[in-house]
Amino acid sequence: MGIARERVARPRLGEAGLLIPILLFVLLFALVPVALLFGGGWVNGGGAVGLYDTVWREATNRASLYNSLEQGALSALVAFGVGYPAGIFLARYAFPGRTAARSFLLLPFLLPTVVVVVGILDLFGPGGTISSAVPTLAWFGEGVPGIVLANLVFNVPLVVLYTALGCESASGDLEETSRTLGASPARVYRDVWAGPSLIGAAVGVVLTFVFAALAFASPLMICGPRCYTLEAQVYALSSTFLEPTAASLLALAAVLILLVPIVVYVLLASRLRERGSRGPIRPQKLSRSGWIGPAFAIEASLVFAGIAIVLFTVLARSLWPAPGGAFGAGWSDLVSSRTTATLGIPIGNVIVNTFGFAVFAAAATFVLVLLAAFALRHRPRWEGSVSTYLFLPLLVSPVLLAFSLAEFWRPLLGGESTVWVLIGVSQAILALPFALQSVQVPLSGLSTAPSEAAQSLGASRWTAFWDADIPRIRNGIVTAGLFAFAIGLGEFTATYFLYTPPFTTLSVAVYTLQRERFSDATAGAAALLLVVSLAVFAIVLGMGRSRERAHA
Amino acid sequence: MPEVLLRIDRLEAVVDRLPVLHGIDLELGEGEFLALMGPNGSGKTTLLRCIAGLEWPSAGRIVLAGRDVTDLPANRRGISLLLSEAALFPNRTVLENVAYAPLVQRRSEAEAREIAAEALAAVRLEGFEGRPGYALSMGERQRVALARAIAARPRVILLDEPFAAIDPEVRGELRGDFRRALASRGISSIHVTHDREEGLFLGDRVAVMLEGRIRSLGSPAELLADPRSAAVARFLGFNVLPEGGGVVAVDPADTEFVDAAPDRFSAQMLAAGTVGRESVGIARGESGERIEARAALDHPWPAAGSTIGVRWTRTRRVASE
Repeated sequence: MGIARERVARPRLGEAGLLIPILLFVLLFALVPVALLFGGGWVNGGGAVGLYDTVWREATNRASLYNSLEQGALSALVAFGVGYPAGIFLARYAFPGRTAARSFLLLPFLLPTVVVVVGILDLFGPGGTISSAVPTLAWFGEGVPGIVLANLVFNVPLVVLYTALGCESASGDLEETSRTLGASPARVYRDVWAGPSLIGAAVGVVLTFVFAALAFASPLMICGPRCYTLEAQVYALSSTFLEPTAASLLALAAVLILLVPIVVYVLLASRLRERGSRGPIRPQKLSRSGWIGPAFAIEASLVFAGIAIVLFTVLARSLWPAPGGAFGAGWSDLVSSRTTATLGIPIGNVIVNTFGFAVFAAAATFVLVLLAAFALRHRPRWEGSVSTYLFLPLLVSPVLLAFSLAEFWRPLLGGESTVWVLIGVSQAILALPFALQSVQVPLSGLSTAPSEAAQSLGASRWTAFWDADIPRIRNGIVTAGLFAFAIGLGEFTATYFLYTPPFTTLSVAVYTLQRERFSDATAGAAALLLVVSLAVFAIVLGMGRSRERAHA
Repeated sequence: MPEVLLRIDRLEAVVDRLPVLHGIDLELGEGEFLALMGPNGSGKTTLLRCIAGLEWPSAGRIVLAGRDVTDLPANRRGISLLLSEAALFPNRTVLENVAYAPLVQRRSEAEAREIAAEALAAVRLEGFEGRPGYALSMGERQRVALARAIAARPRVILLDEPFAAIDPEVRGELRGDFRRALASRGISSIHVTHDREEGLFLGDRVAVMLEGRIRSLGSPAELLADPRSAAVARFLGFNVLPEGGGVVAVDPADTEFVDAAPDRFSAQMLAAGTVGRESVGIARGESGERIEARAALDHPWPAAGSTIGVRWTRTRRVASE
């Protein structure tokens, strides 16, 4: 007599189908529009010859290439000089408030670029707090020095954090063993942790170069056309000079040029990830570190103080706009009729728009990331290729994204009333890689045992995921949504490219008011954006803390 | 005891604001092998790190060969440390790893090679010179780590659970080889372990550390004959049972599980099974103490859950806590 055999439940392809929404989203709103834009530019612009002519023969375009390389290189160099010692201090020394300092360094990731630029101008620009007291320092409020300074506020924390990660990937056991074998501190540095710390710093430096070479708000607000980067020049060609073919060829050139540092970044970052953490490094006490520890401490304190001063200035300027000005003028001027006339809509509507787009970006990202998490949980072998695909939007700069969306989707959607869709979508696309990472990290270390136990007790895969996995990655998913929300709140470049007055956001308002030299209202709008961003940052931080407690 | 090489006076240490060591006094003789035993969290590793110069004591002194080294940095103490993780330089060959200390000490390359080759021979790793560290087994890595420590020509080698990550079969062989290599060079060693069999096997003397204090110190035979306190007795595997208003330490081999009777110490049988070449029964006393008895493999144990009487023959009087 034959025995009836039950079919063994295998992972079904249907679950992987939940990846389709996120894959389609990236395909339709990033990859296809960009490919068509490049294709159109290539065909209409005369192929390789046209590309060469656009980038090299046209003086302003060539200048923007130089500017990108110059600003990128200078920012990267100074960020390394300033960030490397601070990163070493953070990783290797024990001091009160070490965890808080580390969290503080994440803040610039969520800061709107326009807010930082306004802060730099408040300090070093015409009538700035510092430039008024020491006129020679006004040098930092204009031209390339001002742009580099603004870039540093964002990027020095990157170098600090990656240097610290590099230091921590060195083997604490090997270091201690070397010391007991007679190696001096300098020798231990050379033999044990110089390499890993420099790999970490290099990751931050390469990212700094890429971000600075593609900076948009700082050249626009601090210097003007003579300092335009490739990113700003693409914007000028497409929106001001109405030369879409030249703009698309220049954007293609930018992607090709920056492909090299991006590949270097990916290689260095994967090397850093492979190293992981090799045994805990026990932070040294400052009191036992001779002169070098205090020297690092002073340098790191200056870095933290510098970032804090920029942010504090933005808040202070909104309350005390100018010497002799009325207290709180920055805030009261926001609701004035002059501000409404300049922006085209009342500030209340601007706030509603800002939150509306941020919520849209957060909701879209949240749903897509949740579905992707479920699918990848049951198809872990796909994770590598899916991640690579979903991180492709990192190669697409905000201007390029907005430009391609406008060229491809605006005619299809028709009318200016649908611009809001494109703004929301662009913000979601820009947030997606970061949001995905905040889910992938907790997901990758998650034990399958609770989910398998739930299934063995009769739960379906979805129920098991919901009951056993979601509670353990809940903070990661919420952080992903909050990340998207925060990025949407402060996003300037793509939004500025796409917006029409009824869809003005706070970051666009800051730039518009600054351009029109409404300094009080600019200060108020920047401060408002900063306060909201700080609140979101505080929530993200709280989530992280509770996740750490849960793991402990 | 041979002439004192290392003396530790009233050493105290605080880690993460918690006091971990409480007035440790300890001496290590020339060429002596001291096993420092204790359960996890008893402060053994902190003591070792203080001696190595990797942790700073909050009070007390460390004197090496008559010289106060308490404030000396780790690289100038002449004390090598070996961890459970071999911590080899991953991008260097075995020879380069072992020659590291001589080169740091500014010896010529030829001299460093000679010292390294000699140290490798001491740990029976001739022929491994050109291999990269990652191509070695765990046991081989630990041998390289010991050779590297020996090549530094230290006065003292500290071993912090060096066999913790090694397979049991290889572990036995390594214990013998380590002991022989260190003894033949007359190097004094402190070997930290929470494995009591390992500590009792290796140590010329054995120190038992509990809650940041050295609670017992002596040769393995002395310690087993007189564990001194109930806590040390428990750590050494004795049953601690009440007798005559005090407590006594009883070897599980001298303990018997019998029928319950009103005049007998009673307990509840928990489980029985085979450990090594013996049969082991485990019961719980009325006050919750764990009682172990050992017998021949074919010994018939009472049923689990039944109430039994406990009888013992040989005892050692110990101080209760």
